[in-house]
Amino acid sequence: MLLHLLVLAPFAVALLMVVNSKEDYKAATRMAILFGLLFLGMSVALIASGNTATTPVEWFKIPGCKGPSYYYLYSHGLGAWMVFLSCGLSLVSLISARGILGANYRNFAIGIFALMGAMNGTFLAADAVLFFFFFEAMVIPAAILIASFGGEKRKQAAMTFAIYTLVGSAPMMVALWYLLTIADNSLLVSLAVAIQSVPESTQLALLMSFLIAFIVKTPIFPFHGWQAITYSEASAPLSAILTGAMSKAGVFGFIAWVLPIFPFNMQEVSTMVWLGLASAVYGAFMALRATDGKKLLAFSSMSHLGIAVAGVFSLSEAMLPAVLVLLVAHGISAGVQYYLIGVAERMTGTRNIDEMGGLAHKNPAFSFLFGAAGVMALAVPGTAGFIGEFSVLLSLWDLSAVCAGIMGFVMILSAAYVLRFIQKVIFGNPAREYTEGKRAGHLEGFAYGVMLVLLLVFGFHPSFITNSLNLNEEEVAEQVAEEPAAEAPAEEVVEEEEVEEDVEPLESHIVSSADIAKLDSSLTQAGFSEEERKELIKQVIETEANMAKATAYAAEKQQREEEEARIRDAANKGYEEFDVPMESQDESAVKNEEASND
Amino acid sequence: MTNIPLWLIPLFPLLGTIILGAIAVTSSGNKKGAPENLIGALAVILPAISFACVTVLAVNMPASGFRETICNWIDIPLLKVNIGFQFDALSRIMLLFVTGIGTLITLYSIGYMHGDRGFTRFFAYINLFLFSMIVLVLSDNLLLTFLGWEGVGLCSYLLIGFWNKDLKNCKAANKAFIVNRVGDIGFLLGMLSLVTLGGAGVLNYDMLNHFISMLIAGGHVELIMPMLTITCVLFFVGCTGKSAQIPLLTWLPDAMAGPTPVSALIHAATMVTSGVYLVARLSNLFVICPDVLNIILVVGALTAFWAAFAGLFQNDIKKVLAYSTISQLGYMFMAAGASAFDASIFHVFTHAFFKASLFLGAGAVIHALGGEQDMRNMGGLIKKTPVTACVMIFAFLAIIGFPGFAGFWSKDLILERIFTDCNWVITGSWLAPVVPMNKIFYVVGLFTAVITAVYMGRLIIMTFFGSYRGSKENEAHIHEAPAVMLIPMIVLTFGSIFAGYLWADYMGVRVFADSLAPVLAAAQSFDPARSLNPDILLSEFIPRAAEHVNPIIFAALGTLAAVVGMFIAWKGWMHAHIPAAKGSSAPEGYAAGWTFMWDYVHGFFVKVVNVAAWICEKVVDAFLQAFQWTLGSIATILGDGATVFQVRKVRLQLGLSILGIVALVVVVLLTGGLV
Repeated sequence: MLLHLLVLAPFAVALLMVVNSKEDYKAATRMAILFGLLFLGMSVALIASGNTATTPVEWFKIPGCKGPSYYYLYSHGLGAWMVFLSCGLSLVSLISARGILGANYRNFAIGIFALMGAMNGTFLAADAVLFFFFFEAMVIPAAILIASFGGEKRKQAAMTFAIYTLVGSAPMMVALWYLLTIADNSLLVSLAVAIQSVPESTQLALLMSFLIAFIVKTPIFPFHGWQAITYSEASAPLSAILTGAMSKAGVFGFIAWVLPIFPFNMQEVSTMVWLGLASAVYGAFMALRATDGKKLLAFSSMSHLGIAVAGVFSLSEAMLPAVLVLLVAHGISAGVQYYLIGVAERMTGTRNIDEMGGLAHKNPAFSFLFGAAGVMALAVPGTAGFIGEFSVLLSLWDLSAVCAGIMGFVMILSAAYVLRFIQKVIFGNPAREYTEGKRAGHLEGFAYGVMLVLLLVFGFHPSFITNSLNLNEEEVAEQVAEEPAAEAPAEEVVEEEEVEEDVEPLESHIVSSADIAKLDSSLTQAGFSEEERKELIKQVIETEANMAKATAYAAEKQQREEEEARIRDAANKGYEEFDVPMESQDESAVKNEEASND
Repeated sequence: MTNIPLWLIPLFPLLGTIILGAIAVTSSGNKKGAPENLIGALAVILPAISFACVTVLAVNMPASGFRETICNWIDIPLLKVNIGFQFDALSRIMLLFVTGIGTLITLYSIGYMHGDRGFTRFFAYINLFLFSMIVLVLSDNLLLTFLGWEGVGLCSYLLIGFWNKDLKNCKAANKAFIVNRVGDIGFLLGMLSLVTLGGAGVLNYDMLNHFISMLIAGGHVELIMPMLTITCVLFFVGCTGKSAQIPLLTWLPDAMAGPTPVSALIHAATMVTSGVYLVARLSNLFVICPDVLNIILVVGALTAFWAAFAGLFQNDIKKVLAYSTISQLGYMFMAAGASAFDASIFHVFTHAFFKASLFLGAGAVIHALGGEQDMRNMGGLIKKTPVTACVMIFAFLAIIGFPGFAGFWSKDLILERIFTDCNWVITGSWLAPVVPMNKIFYVVGLFTAVITAVYMGRLIIMTFFGSYRGSKENEAHIHEAPAVMLIPMIVLTFGSIFAGYLWADYMGVRVFADSLAPVLAAAQSFDPARSLNPDILLSEFIPRAAEHVNPIIFAALGTLAAVVGMFIAWKGWMHAHIPAAKGSSAPEGYAAGWTFMWDYVHGFFVKVVNVAAWICEKVVDAFLQAFQWTLGSIATILGDGATVFQVRKVRLQLGLSILGIVALVVVVLLTGGLV
């Protein structure tokens, strides 16, 4: 129920907002903020309720595809926290736009609620088609909001944003469609099975298509062309949502869709790590040079998310909690920074940080918030950012010391640009004369303060975030343990076997028979004894055999098309149970590969 | 009374921070600000309560100390860390002087900051600093220490840039934070490589010591020697940042832009010594990497010597003291490098007293002169401000190691221990078949002691003797500081005279050494030449011999150094004509070259980063943007071209529509129908 409400109700509320008259914007404000609070409360409840899922409803069948797509929502720790970010930042945006937009507030709120619904759908969808639907749907309200409430070049920014991100996800659409033509249905498990039966070159092409979409969304160097102009031209409350919640859809896509579906080899993984680090360094350099305050924050976001992506593809044991904490921390701190630069822009009438300055004396309370937000973005220990960055650093260090060194360099650069930013905006003397615009109201200031306090709370007690992941694992473990005891009908037994196969080929597919000779020689070089070598190769061949078995099963499966409908229903249940293990299995597959390469 | 919970100690300054911070933010609107008496009282009493707690605990502490785990902090795979405190011999000493001197300097600040617009904010920062510093020394694991470590760095940043209207101060603050960040990354990576070696558990100090003893017992040290060395080097990089050692020292002289009490508390007595504390805390780790200890020794010696020389060239009274701090920190690291950790902590302890007195004295002078810091505009102040002059002269005698004063005991101890404990030798060099490095470092240390006496003598002479060289209108206003400032100065002066008697070897007093023994004795008795395989080490060591040199010789040489230095200073500046300052107080010519040597090195790196950033923006990004817009334009042009089909010709359009429908039907049929 909660899931349905979080995804569908925002759209309903967006429609409901229309009943407000345009003139009486105060009523619209009250209504919007109340609903925002309600959604925030629901997102907290969602986090607290752990793993939940709705019953899948068959939605429609895409022409040419084998199976149907479902309206099927599923919440796990990662998605729930992303929903928290989207609801929380939307609420603060609604608060911070209060009294600024006047009669336009109603339209702004409609856009924000629509955007919120689309984001929630993206983070909660358990069906690939549904996910893709929401992933694309996010762009529309965002682009409209940019075009209506942005700065001077807002039209251009909105077009750039919409076209760039839509074009970026077009290959994913094709790849998804292709996968659906060979998969039983559009659920994660089926896709992961389907990918096993396509040749390696096609796999790579499909992987690239998926990656591009998320790389553009995050954005990762060199596909960041839309970001700076979008974030700087959009109104500050919207930029906060875009960077704090929407850009997370990219990283979320890597974790929740790309990693479980696609088998990775070491080269692809390390390419992604390096791309992540490259955009981290690149973003930091660009932020050092930026004079537009919002562009500076945009590049700083790019830098942080680059680190997050590098962390995701480090595939260490600590990856998931580390990245999750980093994402939540970044969502809150980047969000609050955007709101505050928005207030600064309002007060001084410019975004150019060279023309600001002296706010510390003019408006000490604002400057306190601004300085505190800046410092917290620096990942000072005691704030959530530190927990995230330190654990990601740990994951990267496990991968290679060079990567960790680069990330360390980025952390130094981040100090440089953030301190420069703080200094230019609030310290010194005002760079020019101006009539001061509207200051932040009490409620607004309070909201920012709460965000900063949240960063501190998560910094001293990150278990609030990380436990939501453990909770899921335990639950899944319990479910898996209970499973054999339950009496299973015949179809389900078949299904269970299938699920096991889904998992095993992931481990083995990478090792082709041609590799065995290579493996043998490299093992000899590495100084393994005869026995050890034989043992290892035996293992490899065993997994090979498993894979062959799996392909045989797949062929058999095609003959039993009548049974499929029933099997599919079971697959939905199987998905719920095996989603999280799938991920860890995938990681271990890569680790195994790594080990055998050594 | 022993059951005072440890978390109370950091709690009080934290409370102070929260209360004062809240007052500062809420009262920022009104012109008058909060009442100074109330704020001042609050700001002093809370650290004072902490000091009282520490004292009670210190008196009742059993030899093994107190340990307390508060709660879980981070709990993810690969990384499980608790928030826990550890009150042992080492943290006891550190806490005593951190809270004690902290309280005194806070008291002094009430006078110094009187009438400042940011009065409340200042004390909120000071309390935050004390909280961080207490956490740094009280924590029982490295990660929590790092919290304090960056926390003090943050407070240092806030307080250097306290007068933020002047962008010069802000730049100095930024520089301090960024340079420290470089060191902090070293600390972070050091922790990571430690985790790689022994799991997240070894971040806890007790576990780490246990782990190391297991390594030694199991003979595994050789296996992981390269990793251990890297770990120790990384930690030492962290120390060079926080404790202003070569090469990360440029921030400390600039940090003098902050209010003088801040310089006394943070940039002399407490924060900058946390690097020395860390080395002592990790002494068990460092001693099994004697190569790194040698690096520390060399870096310490170079820093001590270089900074002492730079101190000679300064005209700004606070800058002299800043370089002198760097130089004294060099001494401490030399001691640590010779694995005389207790001596280094002893010097930390005595140095805190005399350097704080010197800074507070300098603050009183600056206060008296209405903000004048250039020594060329001072002179003859002993008649106008006798108490301040006495305080500074006593502290001066302490820092140069005049017999009987605090610095004498600790500095001589360091030199003596370098001579006796350092057993690093270089064989087969062109100089001699066997070069004993201990003698070389002893000579460097002794020579630095002479320079110390010279530049400190110069400071005292230029400030207090001769005749007044400043402007006439200033002269009338020169006044002694108020009592609230003088009392802490006098208390600290007592410290700088008598603190040394806690460890006066010649008189048979070893209270200090004995109290530290439970923590440091094991590390100090570790002899690399006996316990480690020489093949895995880069440098060579000879077994530590019980070579008996009469300690009186060390004392005599140390005294001689102080006296010679004072004599040179007296000769050079007592009767010399000193031209009044015009313009900046920064050194010029060769003096600037020496003083800013490391700034040039840093400048190079900053330049490289800036150029890289420039290339990113002007070349890479410009190219990407151009590429992107070119694609966009091509699409637009193609679109424009396609509009020719949009002409008002019914037949053509109808034909195209039919063609399209046919195409669609064909596609649908080929792909197997709609459903």
